[in-house]
Amino acid sequence: MLLEVADLNVTVRLAAGEVAVLRDVSFTVEAGRILGLVGESGAGKSMIGRVVARLLPAGFRVDARRLNFNGEDLLSVSPERQRALLGNRIAFVPQEALSALNPVLTIGRQFEEHLARLGVPRRERRARAARALGEVRLAHPAELLDRYPFQLSGGMCQRVLIALAFSSDPALIIADEPTTALDVTTQAHIVTLIRGLQRAHNTGLLFITHDLRLAAHLCDEILVLYAGDVVERGPAKMVFGVPRHPYTRALKRATPGLTGPRLRLAALPDVTPGVAALGGFRGCRFAPRCPIADPDCAAAVAQLVEVAAGQWVRCTPRCAAGEAPLVAAEEALALHAGQEHGALLQLEATAKIYGGSRSLWRRGRAVAAVRGASFTVGIGEAVGVVGESGSGKSTLARLVMGLEAPSAGRILLEGEDVTLPLPSWRERIRLMQMIFQDPVSALNPRRRVGNLVTQALEAKGQTLSRAERHERALALLRDTGLPEELMPRFPPQLSGGQRQRVNIARALCAEPRLLVADEIVSGLDVSVQAQILNLLLRLRREHDVALLFISHDLSVVRYLCERVIVMCGGEIVEAGPTEEVFAAPKHPYTRTLLAAVPPDDISRPWPPEDGMAPLGDE
Amino acid sequence: MIRLSPTLRRCLAEPRVRVGGGLMLALLLVALFAPVLAPHNPGEQDLLHTLAPPAWTADGEWSFALGTDSLGRDILSRLIYGARVAMRVATVAAFGAALVGSVLALIAGYYGGWPDWIIGRAVDVWMSFPPVILSLILMVGFGAGLNNVILAIIIVDWTRFCRVVRSEVLAVVKRDYIPAARLAGFSHLQVVLKEIVPAVTPLLLTLVSIEMGIAVVVEAILSFVGLSVEPSVPAWGVMIADARQYMYEAPWGLIVPVLGIFVSVLAANVLGDGLRRSVDPRLAQRLAVIR
Repeated sequence: MLLEVADLNVTVRLAAGEVAVLRDVSFTVEAGRILGLVGESGAGKSMIGRVVARLLPAGFRVDARRLNFNGEDLLSVSPERQRALLGNRIAFVPQEALSALNPVLTIGRQFEEHLARLGVPRRERRARAARALGEVRLAHPAELLDRYPFQLSGGMCQRVLIALAFSSDPALIIADEPTTALDVTTQAHIVTLIRGLQRAHNTGLLFITHDLRLAAHLCDEILVLYAGDVVERGPAKMVFGVPRHPYTRALKRATPGLTGPRLRLAALPDVTPGVAALGGFRGCRFAPRCPIADPDCAAAVAQLVEVAAGQWVRCTPRCAAGEAPLVAAEEALALHAGQEHGALLQLEATAKIYGGSRSLWRRGRAVAAVRGASFTVGIGEAVGVVGESGSGKSTLARLVMGLEAPSAGRILLEGEDVTLPLPSWRERIRLMQMIFQDPVSALNPRRRVGNLVTQALEAKGQTLSRAERHERALALLRDTGLPEELMPRFPPQLSGGQRQRVNIARALCAEPRLLVADEIVSGLDVSVQAQILNLLLRLRREHDVALLFISHDLSVVRYLCERVIVMCGGEIVEAGPTEEVFAAPKHPYTRTLLAAVPPDDISRPWPPEDGMAPLGDE
Repeated sequence: MIRLSPTLRRCLAEPRVRVGGGLMLALLLVALFAPVLAPHNPGEQDLLHTLAPPAWTADGEWSFALGTDSLGRDILSRLIYGARVAMRVATVAAFGAALVGSVLALIAGYYGGWPDWIIGRAVDVWMSFPPVILSLILMVGFGAGLNNVILAIIIVDWTRFCRVVRSEVLAVVKRDYIPAARLAGFSHLQVVLKEIVPAVTPLLLTLVSIEMGIAVVVEAILSFVGLSVEPSVPAWGVMIADARQYMYEAPWGLIVPVLGIFVSVLAANVLGDGLRRSVDPRLAQRLAVIR
């Protein structure tokens, strides 16, 4: 038994008293096996990695019945012994690859430092480093050693970190969301790589992720955490195949599928309670959001019970016995209406080229962010734009909104040319509005919610009375499912999901005909993402508003949009009805994108084993 | 209950803001109500009581609480009236420099491109002159007088505001709420006034408060060398210059105006420091962690 954790409890001292942020967590990782820790933000999953590394800040208290690594008690080993273990026998792969590498040292330097710690003689270090980089399938490893982290892409940095982690041939690797910040295709490569190395070295792997489906494909066993409690654990195929706990079920159903019928997402209400709120729970912490909670749930915490071979659930006896009904029957969404729409927005060979102008000191290199984009968005139609980062999707959104002037081509709105620079601004923003990606940045922290959502009324210089503006703000909050009490709050006082709703409410204020949404659900937890997606579906139905929905997530696009545009390197490579494009992709790039998404059917092998060419300049 | 903005509430909770702001407010009130507060006319000479010591010493009298100067003028009254000059320079010069500097900073930061280039180079050229020399040259050019002192301070110190505010504007302009305001139909002027100015105001107040202290010192220096107010007007610099000759016999004439300058600068700096601590989110976080 490589890592053995029994009854791990972590408490933090807050102003309101002690709060347990992890309760009675037990698991084991064995050599050559992968354990997945799955949960949303606030679940405490990253805390476990920090406990093992003893990296918890002051104020946290850890106690456990057992916390053993290879039979050694990690809680009582000397600091020297612990230093000898970490980075050597136990290695870490962090989430933010770019910030985990020192930006002012070359990759080679950082590698050599690590190898020096491991006691590799100076002469051998460079060759060892090059070999390690070759193992993670980076092309030209010798040249790479002289490069700096910022000269590499996110995927390449993550490979360097994986190479660093495996270079000591550790017994255990703790990977904390190693693929979350990456594109789907890069994620597929990284997962293949980690699994290949892990098998070759017979390493034990603790894989921390928020993505249940990804964990189901990669891991042997899964532990589902909610607000510090293990709610379900068991073999990956069983937990994902037949989830028993209502939270696991909700997680599974909160992400739309890429194939099969389009089912309405069963979104959980509300959000995971924050650490400060945890002290108020006596019983099950999931009870307030649980669709099958009964009065007993709030009184005491249930025990983990084995419901099937190796599958354990912490829920009511009825639920554990599999008797609790699924409350909401699965509701299939109507197929996207295929009727002909009149054109609302037309782009004709629109292009955006950055740089290339000559300044006093240098001649800039021209970069085409968008090349010859032509497409139409019909009245009330939802069009998805997919592609990897750097494919020009966001630039396209800014061109459509008029936040950037196109270098070439025309943009027509209801048949009228609104290409910048033209005095068409008012007309433009009356007809279309944008929902920005990051609500933290898009909401002025000095304005109250009520004021933010009705900002458009302020601009028009209308003689609108306070009462009228208040009335409009109330209607917008109702429309986006926000409680009235939020009116006088400031954005920093809201949760992530609430902020995104405010962001949407503001865009709706001027009653636009087209909403441009740029990656608006990518920063949200899956259960909150499901709420926002359902909100967008409802708004489309109620307001008959068209949607240009930009996302790297293909399944989300399939859920919302009847047509899809696939972008690659600034060009539209494929476009058509979503179902057709996803069912029978014509362009090889679309096929690659689709193949990189973990499928719902876990019996299908994923990631695809082919197409793993060494990674050079991405 | 009046809802204060979170920034304002944080400011008022900071003890430095309370102390510095309280002292500054007291100084401004003293300046404003000088005719009511001063026991004597500051120009009134009492040649029978020259160089009188403060009241608490053996020979002191309570009619001249802080003693008199070489012409028998009441030091307390002159100190109180001197606050008028100091506070007038402090407020007008600091706000003037802030206005000039931040308007240029807003133009440079919001529009970028060639306006930014021109303003940036102007600041560079300006800052290459030593400020003392520049202000003396200006004073020689303008001639003596309180208004010219204020003008000189504004002309020398606007760069201080321009540089710092511009970088703050650049940070704000990068946030998505600026294009969002444009999409809400705000004109460029509205975006600047309603979105950017409120965002840089806390920083601006910090700078103004520190600049007030600087202005008090500069005015004292210039009135000491006779380039500011006329000799008949009571100003702290003039008082120091007058008391200089008798500083061994009657040190109070020198100590009192120096204390006046000291307290003003202390108030300005403590207030500025407190404002900076409570409005700079990074610093506020770090302090919260330490606590």
